[in-house]
Amino acid sequence: MVLVSLRGAQRARFWLAWVLAFSVVLAGCSSAATAPSGAQGSAGSQNGAQGEVLIGVMGPLTGDSAEYGKIWRRGFDLALEEINAAGGVQGRPLNYVFEDTQSDPKQSPAVAQKFVNDPRVVAVIGDFSSPASMAASPIFQRAGLVQLGITNSHPDFTKTGDFIWSNSTSQTDEAPFLARLAVEQLGRKRLAVLHQNTDWGKTTADLFVEQARALGAEVVLQEAYLLTEKDFRPVLTKARDAQPDALVLISYYNDGALIAQQIPAVGLDVTVLAASSVYSPQFLNLGGAAVEGVYTVSRFHPADPRPEAQQFVERFRERYGTDPDTFAAGAYDGMKILAAVLNRVGVDRKALRDGLEQAEHLETILQGATAFGEDRRLRNPRFVPLVVRGGAFAIWNP
Amino acid sequence: MLDQLINGLVVGNLYALTAVGITQIYGVANVINFAHGSLYMVGAFVGWMAVTWLGLPLLPTLLLVLVASALLGLAVERVAIRPFAGSGRTVLLLTTIAAGLVLEQAAQLIWGPETKAFHTPFADVRVRVGGGFLSSLDLVILAVGLTTALALWLFLKRSRLGWAVRATAQDREAALQMGVDVNQVSRVSFAMAGALAGVSGLLVGLYYHSVYPTMGFSASLKGFTAALLGGLGNIPGALVGAYLLGTAESLAVAWLGSTWRDLVGIGLLLGVLLFRPNGLFAAARALLPEPTAGTFIPIGRPLPIPRWALPAAGAVALALPLVVRNGYWLQVLATAWIFGLLAISLNLIAGTAGQISLGHAGFLALGAYASAILTTRLQWPFLLSLAVAPVIAAAVGVVLCYPALRLRGQYLAVATIGLGQGIALVALNWTALTRGPLGISNIAPPGLFGVEITSAAGFYWLTLTLLLGGIWVAERLSGSYLGRALRAVREDEVAARAYGVGLERYKSIAFGLSAFIAGLAGVLLAHAYTYIAPDTFTHAMSLQVLTMVVLGGLDNTIGAVAGALALIVIPESARFLAEYRFLVYGLLLLVMLRFRPRGLLSAAS
Repeated sequence: MVLVSLRGAQRARFWLAWVLAFSVVLAGCSSAATAPSGAQGSAGSQNGAQGEVLIGVMGPLTGDSAEYGKIWRRGFDLALEEINAAGGVQGRPLNYVFEDTQSDPKQSPAVAQKFVNDPRVVAVIGDFSSPASMAASPIFQRAGLVQLGITNSHPDFTKTGDFIWSNSTSQTDEAPFLARLAVEQLGRKRLAVLHQNTDWGKTTADLFVEQARALGAEVVLQEAYLLTEKDFRPVLTKARDAQPDALVLISYYNDGALIAQQIPAVGLDVTVLAASSVYSPQFLNLGGAAVEGVYTVSRFHPADPRPEAQQFVERFRERYGTDPDTFAAGAYDGMKILAAVLNRVGVDRKALRDGLEQAEHLETILQGATAFGEDRRLRNPRFVPLVVRGGAFAIWNP
Repeated sequence: MLDQLINGLVVGNLYALTAVGITQIYGVANVINFAHGSLYMVGAFVGWMAVTWLGLPLLPTLLLVLVASALLGLAVERVAIRPFAGSGRTVLLLTTIAAGLVLEQAAQLIWGPETKAFHTPFADVRVRVGGGFLSSLDLVILAVGLTTALALWLFLKRSRLGWAVRATAQDREAALQMGVDVNQVSRVSFAMAGALAGVSGLLVGLYYHSVYPTMGFSASLKGFTAALLGGLGNIPGALVGAYLLGTAESLAVAWLGSTWRDLVGIGLLLGVLLFRPNGLFAAARALLPEPTAGTFIPIGRPLPIPRWALPAAGAVALALPLVVRNGYWLQVLATAWIFGLLAISLNLIAGTAGQISLGHAGFLALGAYASAILTTRLQWPFLLSLAVAPVIAAAVGVVLCYPALRLRGQYLAVATIGLGQGIALVALNWTALTRGPLGISNIAPPGLFGVEITSAAGFYWLTLTLLLGGIWVAERLSGSYLGRALRAVREDEVAARAYGVGLERYKSIAFGLSAFIAGLAGVLLAHAYTYIAPDTFTHAMSLQVLTMVVLGGLDNTIGAVAGALALIVIPESARFLAEYRFLVYGLLLLVMLRFRPRGLLSAAS
């Protein structure tokens, strides 16, 4: 008897488990069906057909960096709305397929192959992290499919070949600008630099230090920290003992806000400057009162008076109830750049590459009208100095 | 100096709550609960909701978190532990990992992936101490931490249920015979550990003013370290271990720099495991609390596979690119073959020799970095590097693992987590050799005699050839004297030694061979990606490889390859599930382990 009832219970458990698994699968399907995947779209040939034109997007939708994939989507969706309202690409609707790679180099090459094989895909945007993006680059280069990185500041990213492009700045552009703000405009002479130990953090910090020294400042401390670090009191104590007159954070907004919150706890009271990547509503939200008075620079600010920027900000707020950050603007720009060039040269992978090279007047939110340079990055990036005032980023005027 | 010490104690206090929960569960259920970090994360989110949405003050929030995470602890026990009683502890290791994954993915879907600001629900007052400050929050954390530890200690020493818990921890069978309801004890322990994890999550969320779905992993690593320092199962030991770890890290940051924090933690862990494997407070000569014979690893009989099936499968696989022109699937399969090699390599130590490793991505990194450096710096051709880099990986791997070879079972597993993380951290910090966080880019694609292999089919054949070679070697080894000696080590170390099998020698051979094959996989990976960086080789990767091996059936080479194939292809083909992909993956893993705990390619026992 006991045996039989046990078996019954086991069977019940078995079915319960499967029903659970399948209901999740179904839930997944129904949500995937609403996503703009276009997977069921007509598989028209590359040129003639009137079907959708697809941009492949590879990025994180799950895993540690999932939040950035979410921000990207907002930028893409907004851009697509405008592009398609204005007639799409040569009269065909533009759409994107977002493949989740978790920003993991184990998954990105397969997704790259998938995009390469899909004749509807004319260009690819992504990936988020350097290892994932650069593991995919050789596949795109060999297949002759444009990969446009929208967050890839790794100095080697565009070096894989002439199909690899980026509208993100390389650190060579931003770091000297931040150094001039600290030394020349704010007049700080003893700088303590904390940077995250990533490809981006290391390069930016080194370039910053080089420029700051050239401007006559003394760097009293340069310390790296791991991206997973949460407890900054020990390193801040060290910074305090070096007696700087400014603390420079080469950080993302999460770690930047965390550091700012721990600064008062060690009794450090100096001007704080941070790299452009802290420029996000999340930095204010996470940092609260602790980030008041922090200086930064940005490629983008919602108070930017240019009409196209104002229009973008307004529409973004209307749709998502929050201000866009640089990631959202970069995603929006990326999609717009591809659409503009495709419109000009036609829906063709090779023509798109040549078009990117020849395009002379690309409208972007981040830096107005611009074009790509020799290094396949946008020319002459501009930065605005900002300061946090009254819980918001304000443009800083000397 | 004083403020660095205070820092260390406050942080140690945060580690303490996690460590105590881990140590208690280990004491009672003899399981290292890998879902602990996720319970901690959910606790933090429940607290965040109570404070931010309901506007509750601290005390009710604390109570709410206690209750909610205790219930969740019970749920984890019900779903991931009880149905698997008697399946062996490697299976429990995986079920807790799967349960943790499910919780983490569910949290991402419910609360969203972004970091949430968590503002303190009480006034923040600071008192000046030395050069720094001690805030009211620090004191609250200290008070809650000490009160909880004291309450736990009183419960275990004074209450009848506490005695039952301790009796079960000492000897489950004996306790059962004395009339202790051991299932009840197990439930109570999981509820308590869940509550502890939740409270520590809440406090950490308050301390760092932020909560996010992936916050659990590094916290649970610190918890394991602290628990091991004090000796698993030893509650006061875990407390001391946590304070020690916190202080050591704080001082390491002050003297050496912030990137040294984790390396110092790992060094401390390995040092203690080496000299006092039972923790700092155990009698030095006591035996390790691990079973000596076959109960740690559930080995099933391999499914009988007809003699012709393997060559036939190999031939089909080799012919596949002639039929399948789809580069995407060839790319996916090539990745599966690389991970198949890695799984074979792990199976050699975990399956055949019974030495569970949770840091196998470290071996992969050794091979990948060796080849990347040889080919980019010294301009070696790919073939030469393919031959030499795995040898380097094997040599370095054996030297690194040698001190850990005395450890058994879960102790070894945790030590290998440390080794795997340690290798990645060294790659991150040894900038002169590895370019540190910048990684090594522009690694040439694989080439044979001057011809570069760039097509998906070419790469597929290259990886498959090496995989088939790996399978052949592993199968030959399995039937040889060496294979039998390694199995003897796995089944009973004392008996093996009595029969003249030198334990450390044979374990070294196993680790060396394993590191060689993993190094081979690493070379392939480096030249396939053409770019590697320290964060290419994550702990998640190590866990995934172990999952492949266990899923396929331990001590079963073909099973390991099948596991790799399944775990690369399933998430790929589940892409349409988008954000739900890894939630489903976790659930499927639990279901599969429930019905085939000995692996896919094992006969039912």
